[in-house]
Amino acid sequence: MDKSMIAELYLSFAAVFHRPNPDVSDHLEELVDLWSEVIPEIDEAVQKLATFCREFPPGEQRLNALWEHYIPLFETGEVEASPYASVYSGEKGLVLGKEAFNVQQFYANCGYVMGEKSGELPDHLAVELEFCALLARNGQSEALMEFQKKHLTPFLKSILPRIKNSDRPVYSDIATILEIRQLNLQKEGDFVG
Amino acid sequence: MKRRNFLKGVLYGTGATMAIAGGFGTFNKLGSVKAEAIGEDLETTVFSSCEMCRNQCPIAVKVKDGKVVKIDGHPDDAAFGGVICARGNAGPSLLYDPQRIKKPMIRTGERGEGKFKEVSWDEAYTYISDKLYNVKDQYGGEAIALASRKGPHDWFFRSIGKAMGSPNVFSHEATCPMTRSVALDTTFGNEAIAADYANTKYLISIGRNWFEGIHVAQTRAVSKALSNGAKLVVLDPRFSITASKGEWLPIKATTDLAFVMAMANIMIDENLYDKNFISQYTEGFEKWAEEVKDKTPEWAEKETGISKEKIIRITREFAAAKPQAILDFGWRTAYTPNDYQLRRAILIVNMMIGNLEVPGGYYRTKPANFLKDFPDQAVYAKGLGNITQPSFPKASQGRIDGTGVKGTPGQIIPAYDGAVGKIVESILTEEPYPIRAWLVHRFNPYISLTESPRVLEAFKKLDLLVTCDVYMTDTAYFSDVVLPECTYLERSEPIFDMSGLTPKYVIRQAAVPLVYSDTKPYWQIYKELGEKMGIGDYFEFKDMEDYMSQQLRPTGITLDKMKEMGVWTPPGMNAFYVRASDANASLDNVLSNHSKKIEIFSVDVEEATKQGVPKYISHPQPEEGKFRFVQGKVAVHTNAGTANVPILNELMPTNTLWMNPVSCTKLGLKDEDEIVIASGLYEHKGKIKMTEGIRPDTVFCYHGFGRVSPELRRAFGKGINGNHLIPNEIGEVGNTVTSTTFVTVRKA
Ligand code: SF4
Repeated sequence: MDKSMIAELYLSFAAVFHRPNPDVSDHLEELVDLWSEVIPEIDEAVQKLATFCREFPPGEQRLNALWEHYIPLFETGEVEASPYASVYSGEKGLVLGKEAFNVQQFYANCGYVMGEKSGELPDHLAVELEFCALLARNGQSEALMEFQKKHLTPFLKSILPRIKNSDRPVYSDIATILEIRQLNLQKEGDFVG
Repeated sequence: MKRRNFLKGVLYGTGATMAIAGGFGTFNKLGSVKAEAIGEDLETTVFSSCEMCRNQCPIAVKVKDGKVVKIDGHPDDAAFGGVICARGNAGPSLLYDPQRIKKPMIRTGERGEGKFKEVSWDEAYTYISDKLYNVKDQYGGEAIALASRKGPHDWFFRSIGKAMGSPNVFSHEATCPMTRSVALDTTFGNEAIAADYANTKYLISIGRNWFEGIHVAQTRAVSKALSNGAKLVVLDPRFSITASKGEWLPIKATTDLAFVMAMANIMIDENLYDKNFISQYTEGFEKWAEEVKDKTPEWAEKETGISKEKIIRITREFAAAKPQAILDFGWRTAYTPNDYQLRRAILIVNMMIGNLEVPGGYYRTKPANFLKDFPDQAVYAKGLGNITQPSFPKASQGRIDGTGVKGTPGQIIPAYDGAVGKIVESILTEEPYPIRAWLVHRFNPYISLTESPRVLEAFKKLDLLVTCDVYMTDTAYFSDVVLPECTYLERSEPIFDMSGLTPKYVIRQAAVPLVYSDTKPYWQIYKELGEKMGIGDYFEFKDMEDYMSQQLRPTGITLDKMKEMGVWTPPGMNAFYVRASDANASLDNVLSNHSKKIEIFSVDVEEATKQGVPKYISHPQPEEGKFRFVQGKVAVHTNAGTANVPILNELMPTNTLWMNPVSCTKLGLKDEDEIVIASGLYEHKGKIKMTEGIRPDTVFCYHGFGRVSPELRRAFGKGINGNHLIPNEIGEVGNTVTSTTFVTVRKA
């Protein structure tokens, strides 16, 4: 798989785990196309996503449907699957733990810093996936492999089952797809893809 | 391919969501910032003040690598001795809680369905502004109500309502110690009276529970008095932690006034009161003497269930310790509709031992502007400045709670506080006129007001409900707009005047940057909302630094100095009691009423309630098979505020119903049984705690549990919400009433 494709894959996952926004919401079909093209054995999840896309055509209704599930899943109150890695790595389930500082340090070592306007914590799932996309795009494959191993993979092992078990449309299907993608990578022994 | 266009555009920086480094704009190229800088091991201490309850204790926040790692009490504030309570210690777990609200939200589903979308602040402000103007145009500005937990946010929050022409701004006080405030006001002409627990020799509590309803300085002061040998007597149907530190008198609930009147009766009968004080400083004593003349210890024994011998002994001990004795005026929700007369009677019995403005008694707090009238203290009179505002439009209607109406109880209800429970009634009954919009700031009417189901009904009738808080509280869950406030550890705010026996100023300043970047401090929220609504003139300050500097200007203290110190008291000033060295010193400056007397008989109260001196009203007692239902505070939670805070929830996730073993046996219940509590209209599930620490005719639960917002994930559905069972009765001075409900209990 070429580096551009790998980058696009990471970015596609980052896109959906960032807070819902009209751009991504309106392009959901295209992300699903990408996944079904390059990730094997995800037919069931793709079917469910296609059904969702049909039920909620691009526009405000779809965006609101995404919010309906994104908020309790990741954002406020119930937070069924907190999107911050620190929450799963000690420190009593709180944010901004050591892992947040560790990934921030990793970003810096690779020449990146989170923009002030991003407004997100460094160990947010979408942020880590987006970072992987940038590394892949730039051909920083060693760094990508190391980041996967040290940070992303342990985080995904904690969070993906939670998202899947939430049974929330779109997100649980995409978590399934991302998990299969991760498993495939491990089988191939090739973290970078 | 289409998708290539979208993803590639984002990835390489040509798409709509593009930013400098590509991707969704999350990252920038590092540029000149050194990678090592991120890992710097910086440790600092920031002086600020706690907000895990409303007491605002001065704190020292330890910050390492930009993260709050520990909170201690401010080391230089002697009243606090460098310590804080368990709730204060739990502050960092609130700060770093993933369950906090992170963005403004607007409801997308039915009210109470829990469906929201996140929006920008601008969208939220526009939405609120449009809706408020719609309500104003259709029903008048008075149809907008505002309610908040009392605090420094009020100046900003209330400006929105007042600028819209609403008279209906409320604090939470009616659900808290407002009966005490009314009693102070109608007896001394002001509410700013405090108790000097540390120096007292004899302390009687009527349900006040310093070791669970914690105010660090006061709890420490009571502890100090006890370790110096003071005697503590506690009247409470429940064996509280405070009761365990003294002599527990398990009084029949709602009969406290009988005990207090009997004390007065004994003191008059046995000549134990301070006649000089009474004649020099008070008026109306003879009416009080007349009122208590048949309130004998024998009579009180029948009312209260406490033996006459004990009542007599305690009264004699109390009087013997004069003036260093305190019959505590309480700090809690009202027990009965006429609770304020209990508070007045308490104050009168205190005045009978002349314990005002002496060590170990009561004192007027001593803010700087108070000192300027005392020549030897005037040097310390460095008062804070005010930030000016244009005058607000005059409301075209009176308040919904009748506050201020002569010849009615409203005459003595403090306009600043009001009867907050009346908002629910006005929404539902449209009397005296409908409330259509309700703005709520850090207040949770669902838990704090009685008859929670009725509160939910009221929410459903509103055109607009806005909640500003750190969590998706029960009220937020039913709101149209939810505004995410940052926590106290991330915000600076106006300097507080916390004067006691000397003036004292305390700062709150941000210890760390915002954890969730789209949360905001309240002052910014209401300033920006005001500007959006075209009422920005009421918020004439640039930012909080500017606001604080304007406050400090007349004091000569610089903002930098205040930040560095955290707490300021006038150097060299000693505790100031007006009568410490001269028992006959004038109290004219202490008393703010026209008469310049301590009003044992109050003309205003007579006009308002026809009870110029407190009269005894006997409240019904539970019949066989029923129990009086009472509530109280626990040391590790703050009322409606902390049930979901990670560490505090871990310490105490739920509550139980306390019941005496005798009653349990009668009902065939045992410890930890699942039960149903019924109060007539409403029922609630719970669990039994079988304990000798409660009267057999009474049941008790801690307040603040039984949450209905599923988004308070840790607290949701756990425990008993006592207010679900209690009718929304509004007491004589607008107070909530919490101890007149009877319940039955059965196995679930
Ligand atoms: S009493 Fe406790 S919770 Fe309240 S302000 Fe003080 S330290 Fe904080």
